[in-house]
Amino acid sequence: MSTPAAGPALETSGLSKSYPTGALHRGRRPALEELTLTVSRGEVFGYLGPNGAGKTTTLKLLLGLLRADRGSARVLGVPHTERAWRHRTGYLPENPYLYDYLTPQEYLDYAGRLFGMPAAERRERSRQMLERVGLAESARVPMRRFSKGMLQRAGLAQALLNDPELVFLDEPMSGLDPIGRHMVKEVILGLRSRGRTVFFSTHILSDAESLCDRVALLRDGRLVTVGRLDEILRIDVSHLELLASGVDAGVLDRLPGLKARRALGERWSLEVEEKSLGPVVTAIQQTGGRVLSVQPVRESLEDYFVRQMGAKAAPRPGETA
Amino acid sequence: MKRILAVAANTYRETVRERVLYNLVLFAVLMTVSGLLMKQLSIRQDERIIKDIGLAAMELFGTLIAVFMGVGLVSKEIERRSLYPLLAKPLGRSEFILGKFAGLGFTLLVNVAVMTAGLYLTLAATHAAFDPNLLKAVYALFLALLLVVALALLFSALSSSLLAAVGTVILVVAGHFSDIIRNMRQVAPGTPDWLAHALYYAVPNFRSFDLKSRVVHFDPVAFSDLGWITLYAAAYVGVVLGLALTVFRSRDLL
Repeated sequence: MSTPAAGPALETSGLSKSYPTGALHRGRRPALEELTLTVSRGEVFGYLGPNGAGKTTTLKLLLGLLRADRGSARVLGVPHTERAWRHRTGYLPENPYLYDYLTPQEYLDYAGRLFGMPAAERRERSRQMLERVGLAESARVPMRRFSKGMLQRAGLAQALLNDPELVFLDEPMSGLDPIGRHMVKEVILGLRSRGRTVFFSTHILSDAESLCDRVALLRDGRLVTVGRLDEILRIDVSHLELLASGVDAGVLDRLPGLKARRALGERWSLEVEEKSLGPVVTAIQQTGGRVLSVQPVRESLEDYFVRQMGAKAAPRPGETA
Repeated sequence: MKRILAVAANTYRETVRERVLYNLVLFAVLMTVSGLLMKQLSIRQDERIIKDIGLAAMELFGTLIAVFMGVGLVSKEIERRSLYPLLAKPLGRSEFILGKFAGLGFTLLVNVAVMTAGLYLTLAATHAAFDPNLLKAVYALFLALLLVVALALLFSALSSSLLAAVGTVILVVAGHFSDIIRNMRQVAPGTPDWLAHALYYAVPNFRSFDLKSRVVHFDPVAFSDLGWITLYAAAYVGVVLGLALTVFRSRDLL
């Protein structure tokens, strides 16, 4: 089968999945509803959402571990139900279990055989991958002796073994120490610099913010938003943080545009609307106070996430708002 | 085919690393003790008893391995989620099932082969003549073990390890008493004929594979008999594996 080289790395259309509920499986609980999404080639795409939002369900549907109720998906231009694309992708599950009776070298050899790699290529690729994830010295240690972080590294090595065009990573930073997280970030950035596509789910928003070209936010199985970070986040200054000293608390009550205040010993940290900066500074100086610093504050991905997740759940299709 | 062999090789390696073949040590002890004790009996008697004990031990150990390793072949992989990164690679679910069957089948072959060699050595130590009929009984026993693996694999693809073990043990026990099922009306008079017949043919007939008493009593076993049980085993294993593939292909891996 021919596979188009251009076009999106991943596209889904109306992908939906529900799970049976109750002892007799009479009810259905929607886990993913009408997911329509496109991921371009070469981008690092962050798939965000709280626990139970449907992130792992999405990955399992794409990888054929679950069957969709409705909808379709194409991976690297090939319908996701076919096997043709699996030579060109990699997958790291969340908290991987990788046969504790094997060494990472043996596990990678096994994985390489499933890709149909010749023995020499398996040896060379395994060596390279173990070096890349920092497990070269533990290549012959049975994985039952590994820590959670080491297992995560071994899992990442098997996901990259076939030099995939598209990598699915389910919570890749989970269980890793700061050095491990740095290593994963380097791997992801390295993949991007070589034109590979990375689709990863994460709870760690700072990682998504520093790595992703675009993100999608999922809540209760439904896509809340998708786009570039600078499109999603409020790029404008949301407010100013002002540090002042020698200000009487009674004066603060009369300041215009003051959103919040916090005492820091003799000083005050004040949240002020941008348009009110002039009158606030004047008022502080006129009453004998001093403005020590003014800091513009922009919305972070975490602010956005909390704002979206804190909002009232949108009505499901067929429900009235 | 290469992917099936890769899964089979890994399954065999798992059984070795999990020390499944340690049962061979038990078997060796059993054979040595039998050999020493039987020296006091007449030649034909000790030969019979050693053959009987040897074949019974091979059946018992083999069945235990087939059931308790077999029921975890798929369900344990799902419960531990070790299957997910494998199926995300170009490995079909059918290839996975067939690889698992071949891997455990090979483990049992090694087990049975080593035990057979041990049994012959013990017989040689008691100055018994070489009996090729013993190999026929061992062959039939191995076919029965493959059937047990197929059943365990089917239940393993359907449910959890515990339920799979219960289902497999029930079928294996029922299969050893298939004559009782055929004559069920004598035990339970209200049973309809069709039900007794259906159960008799549905339950694997493990009695057909039991050539122990014939070999022990020096009754000849014709090659045509082996041909028939080979056909029966091939057909039954084929149907059961076909069911396992069908069930597993449509199963959601939660």
